[in-house]
Amino acid sequence: MVNKRYVARRFALMLASLFIVITILFFLFRQVPGGPMSAFTNPRMSQAARQAVIEQYGLNDPLWRQYIRYMVNVAQLDFGQSFYYGSSVSALITDRFLNTMSLMLTAFTISYTVGTYLGAQLGWLRGTAKERVGMVVVLFVRSMPVFWTGMVILYVFGFQLDVFPIGGMRESTASYDTTTAKFLSTDFLYHLVLPVFTLSTYYTGLPLLLMRNNILEVLSESYIDTARAKGLTNRRVLFVHAARTAILPVVTAFAIAIGFAVGGQVLIEQVFSWPGLGREMVQASLRSDYPVAQGAFALLSAIVITMNFVADLAYTYLDPRVRLGES
Amino acid sequence: MKRATATFDFDDDAPLLAVEDAVVTYSTSGGDLTAVDGISFSVDENEIFGLVGESGCGKSTVAQAILSLLPSNGRVASGSVRFRGIELTELSKRELDALRWEHFSLISQGAMNALNPVHRISNQIVEAIQAHRDVTTDDARERAAELFEVVGLDPDRMDDYPHQFSGGMKQRAYIAMSLALDPDLIIADEPTTALDVIVQDQILKRLKQLRDELGISVIIISHDISVIAETCNRLGVMYSGKLMEYGDLKEIFADPYNPYTLGLQNAFPTLRGDQSDLISVPGSPPDIADLPDGCRFLDRCPFATAECETEHPPLETVGEDHASACYHHDSIERMREEAKNRETWERTGSDTVPTGGIGDD
Amino acid sequence: MSEETDTSGRTVTESRGTKQGWRRFFQNLKRSSREQAELFVQSRLAVAGLLIVLFYFMLAVISPYIVPYGPSERIYMADGTWASLQPPMAGHPLGTTDAGYDVLSQLLLGSRIAMFVGLLGAFMVAVIGTTVGIVAGYYGGWIDEVVMRVVDILYGLPFIPFVVVIATVFGASVWNIIFGVALLYWLSTARVIRSEVLSVRERPYIEAAEAAGASDFRIMAVHILPNVIPLSALYAAIAVGYSIVAQASIAFLGFGDPNVPSWGVMLQRAFVTQSFGEAWWWTLPPGLSITLVVMGAYLVGRGYEEVANPQLQEK
Repeated sequence: MVNKRYVARRFALMLASLFIVITILFFLFRQVPGGPMSAFTNPRMSQAARQAVIEQYGLNDPLWRQYIRYMVNVAQLDFGQSFYYGSSVSALITDRFLNTMSLMLTAFTISYTVGTYLGAQLGWLRGTAKERVGMVVVLFVRSMPVFWTGMVILYVFGFQLDVFPIGGMRESTASYDTTTAKFLSTDFLYHLVLPVFTLSTYYTGLPLLLMRNNILEVLSESYIDTARAKGLTNRRVLFVHAARTAILPVVTAFAIAIGFAVGGQVLIEQVFSWPGLGREMVQASLRSDYPVAQGAFALLSAIVITMNFVADLAYTYLDPRVRLGES
Repeated sequence: MKRATATFDFDDDAPLLAVEDAVVTYSTSGGDLTAVDGISFSVDENEIFGLVGESGCGKSTVAQAILSLLPSNGRVASGSVRFRGIELTELSKRELDALRWEHFSLISQGAMNALNPVHRISNQIVEAIQAHRDVTTDDARERAAELFEVVGLDPDRMDDYPHQFSGGMKQRAYIAMSLALDPDLIIADEPTTALDVIVQDQILKRLKQLRDELGISVIIISHDISVIAETCNRLGVMYSGKLMEYGDLKEIFADPYNPYTLGLQNAFPTLRGDQSDLISVPGSPPDIADLPDGCRFLDRCPFATAECETEHPPLETVGEDHASACYHHDSIERMREEAKNRETWERTGSDTVPTGGIGDD
Repeated sequence: MSEETDTSGRTVTESRGTKQGWRRFFQNLKRSSREQAELFVQSRLAVAGLLIVLFYFMLAVISPYIVPYGPSERIYMADGTWASLQPPMAGHPLGTTDAGYDVLSQLLLGSRIAMFVGLLGAFMVAVIGTTVGIVAGYYGGWIDEVVMRVVDILYGLPFIPFVVVIATVFGASVWNIIFGVALLYWLSTARVIRSEVLSVRERPYIEAAEAAGASDFRIMAVHILPNVIPLSALYAAIAVGYSIVAQASIAFLGFGDPNVPSWGVMLQRAFVTQSFGEAWWWTLPPGLSITLVVMGAYLVGRGYEEVANPQLQEK
């Protein structure tokens, strides 16, 4: 029973955002000193081959023509050819996208579950010594730069204790028949542990602190007194009555969370050599492979924008007041 | 659901609820504040007791103290609150939960935010039942439907969310919920605030009906003395954490002994009948962080003398079931007469702008 | 009380030229900040946070005069070889890097860039966010609509990848971070300031100023701005931390200026040489320093917010 007009409007905004982000990106990359062709000041490449590539990519056309062609291609999910790999960017970033999502969604699920739960508990404990200690710990963990957390965790579990692999997504010798087999293998899960753990500690801060604040506010609502007066257990008052409403703003804050999450994701992929979108984007930028950098960035942006959209819909679903088309 | 159960050794000779010399304090960064300062009253079976006073006088704190719903920085510092002889302030959380709703329930300002906005009303009622009784959800729902009929709501709408109801309907739904377990006592905190006059009237009639038909006792807490006048058998008039006048409603209304009660009566049209003759008491109650040494009503009382500045007067028996706290009960006839004049109330020396009526929240 | 004194004499002020107006501005600002400062010192956490930030700020100021070695000054062992990856010892309390540099010296000098980026970033966030928020909130209508849609769209640009793009296009430099912060971190500040302005502009003294014919600019600068400055200060405090982490992160990804000693570059060197698997003395100090400064700035903001927000304080 979600309000259809609202969904349609929100969806249009999402497409417009994507369009504008991809446009900004296109023109930004044309500002590279020496133009996108600078990637080909590669001594191994002959002059003729270079011209051929430039022709092939249409880099001699006027900018507006290049722009229109690029947008038309992107609309067909064609992000061009990688300068570096020589293969289709779309295929490449699809593969990297799956790797990124497998890590990000796992970490997100864990941290939102743990974060809202701990935040609710912390809010309930307000004013106690436990709460004060808890807050300092939470703030400290939240302030740690995530890539450093990754390094410390790697130092302890990868190097010193040597119980987990120090990077990658699977053993170099391993190969799998299907994508599903790859993501379900114990080898993959084994490699997943440390990056997921690191990312989770990083993501947990936001939902936790927000949840705590919201719980504090909700606890002063009179329906909480009602619940307590009914003789319900503290647990039930907290989770069935307070948390259910307090969680709504946490869902909205998803918009901000996801922006940070993508940043953290990029850093962690770098630390753990995780072959995801973020790492691919950084590598592509370093090796001037602009089609890949552009495609990867567009996809990272698309993740943020889509998740925002989903968060808005989730909010309308969770709050019956909004769901039924009232304010 | 985990059910709250415990066995109690009720004293059948004790009053239904007896509050004795209760002191409620809040600890704040600026030290302890006393919100309720030594209040005593009792409520018997089958009666409606009213607590009236301006906002901030501590009447809601009394309700919270009885229900053990004080905020975490508040506590009953001394005195006792006994339900059928059981000392409520000494119960464990588990024992207290067993008494709550089963024996005494709450009617909050349902029209406002007292029902959880994200749960269906039926589920909120079912939850209250299942927290105490081992019944199936179907049976509990049947009971909820029954209750909807008792309060005059359409049972077909019990699966609605609170925001789909009007203010009056929400208040009825809340009453339905508070009746779910046939409690002995209902504490109604501002049950009709934010409702229009017609709905207010219906709700109050319903409460009286519950007393007469089900034998339930009710404590009504209100800033509106007309609400109290319409429903109660007995009442307490509170001011700044103290009980100023207490006893049988008819006696108090016929022969008020306290200047504050005189002021309250003046401020409400229904009691005097004439809209244009409303007189309000200028000023506002003292800050509980900075109480005067003498009578709490000192600054606003037109009859105050030097004696009133010494300490707060004790409650004195002035009738069969009637007590008042004032040093000037002797000159009550003169005070009643003068209280009818607007000029009397304007001579209190308080320079604050009149706020348009006592208890005008 | 203070609002009453504000309304009295408002009409007189408006007709009297800019000098009076600015005096009024400083009066309003002084009142507003004094009230907030009194609340602030009540929060022990906020004071602790402030002390941490001040400590690192002091380090940033004095470090060039107290560092025992240059950031790229090679240390040699007694036998003439590089003092590579030496654990903490006398003379080098935090050991050395793989290239034989003194970790303590790099750490001390790194506080400079952190403080520079942190404070400048925060300043940008405050200035841009506040201006945009005030303009959108004060004018409302289509201006507000356009501004808020722009904010929505910019929320779709993930920060770190975006700065990576900027760094790729314009070359590695600290200014990329500042640019990125200025472009993307003011969004929440603008949103919050806007909603605050919506309530401030309903106050009687704003209406009085409008009735007296004050210009829009004057109303925004003299009457609205002082009321929202404390809120911008709160967001700026938090932005100090974000900017520092952003700078370190970008440096860690290899898009920082390798010639400027910074905590991010230290960590990046420790990472790419894989020395961090062994040389904890090299990785812990810069990471902990970032954490402490960020937490300090955050505590300043939060502690202050808890004091200023009565709802959180009461129950």
